[in-house]
Amino acid sequence: MSEKNENEFCNEKKFSSFFLENSTLLFNYIFYKCGNTDLSNDIVQEAFIKIWKNCAKVIPNKAKSFLFTIATNLFLNEYAKSTVIINYKNTPKKDYTNESPEFLLEEKEFEAKLQKAISNLSEPQRIAFLMNRIDGKKYREIAELLGISIKTVEKRIHNALVNLRKEIDVFNKR
Amino acid sequence: MKENYYIAKWLNNELSEDELKKFVSEDELRAYKKIIEATKKLEAPNFDTSKALNLVNIKKQQQTKVRKLNFQFVYKVAASIAVIAMAFYFFSSKNTVYSTKYAEKTNFTLPDKSIVDLNADSEITFKEKNWNTNRNLKLNGEAYFSVKKGSKFTVNTKLGSVSVLGTKFNVIVRGNYFQVTCYRGLVSVSYKNKTIMVPAGTSFKAEGSNSEQPFAINDTLPSWIQNFSSFKSMPYHFVIEELQRQYKIKIEYNPKYANTLFTGNFTHTNLDTALKAVTIPLNLTFKTIGDHKVSFIENKN
Repeated sequence: MSEKNENEFCNEKKFSSFFLENSTLLFNYIFYKCGNTDLSNDIVQEAFIKIWKNCAKVIPNKAKSFLFTIATNLFLNEYAKSTVIINYKNTPKKDYTNESPEFLLEEKEFEAKLQKAISNLSEPQRIAFLMNRIDGKKYREIAELLGISIKTVEKRIHNALVNLRKEIDVFNKR
Repeated sequence: MKENYYIAKWLNNELSEDELKKFVSEDELRAYKKIIEATKKLEAPNFDTSKALNLVNIKKQQQTKVRKLNFQFVYKVAASIAVIAMAFYFFSSKNTVYSTKYAEKTNFTLPDKSIVDLNADSEITFKEKNWNTNRNLKLNGEAYFSVKKGSKFTVNTKLGSVSVLGTKFNVIVRGNYFQVTCYRGLVSVSYKNKTIMVPAGTSFKAEGSNSEQPFAINDTLPSWIQNFSSFKSMPYHFVIEELQRQYKIKIEYNPKYANTLFTGNFTHTNLDTALKAVTIPLNLTFKTIGDHKVSFIENKN
């Protein structure tokens, strides 16, 4: 389009590095929302193409939150929710065996309960909690990306943990 | 009360464990620790960044190159298609209507060469679009059909419907009275949730909730096609209504005869003869009073 534009996002290389830096987090964010990998993949691609088409308008230090806003809007258009199931890593077996079979079984059960409790969290709580726990994002970063205050992020994470504990307690009593 | 999200603060190392114990019990603290420990093992599904970037680069090029020109072109094409489609839809889905007034008969050919004879004061509506695959029409009044062989042919009426594949039959829908007479082949009549098969040479009639089994007839053509009306044990009011339709006249008669059963014919070509034909059997005479108005009177003796 306009050639005199020197905005870095219109530069192929800059665009690629911006993509590599942020696409995984964006993918995870959409996945925490909907639990659907195909939809998440599509939305990531569409969101970056929108960035490319509007590269002249992108303000560098607002680019990330702009990207997340675009993806959120795309998601609203394509609303299709399923249960969000976050899997556990396949941790290699430990060499030492000081854990009893009962302990291991109990831990498996606990993990299943946690998984279910996470899928039962409200969408905003799940997103804030998982972006912090899985993606290791600071409260401030999450707040910036989602365009909310740090206080709101704290509230969501706090409530997420309270809800998880309560739900797992309920499971335990059964 | 100021909101304090102590668990979030503690998770973010802004609050020590001792400080957190002011807000939560030992058990709760253990539960939170266990949850947080377990979350370390969670992972998001695998996302292939380089593959995704390639896809984005491909899409990016496709879109930037052709966008501007293509967009207008697409709009133009879409608009023309819409106009053509609407015009086509408008013309082709328009209903075709054939109707007759009092003292008027007509016949016409359907798109599949089937022939329809329409008796007085009757109306047929159908869609010419897709006629050969969708032979459906609506009838009110009386009509005689000579249907060419082909797909299912359905006559819908407010009282019931008649389906055939290819045959000759007559349908009457007058008020509550419904009669289907089959002259050749076999027709299937659906009336009040019942399906009645009417074979050639028989007739099915129904009035309101009373319907009879098909009965045999001797004619090979409906009488009205041959310019007379024939009745067999029909209520007198029905005969009078038909006479009024055929001659565009108004008849006054003593209502006590309305349900008297009448068997006989009247011609469509001579009013005088027709009036005699329907009055003499009931021992009545008639008097013309003004244009298109006739009164039936009882004989003096």
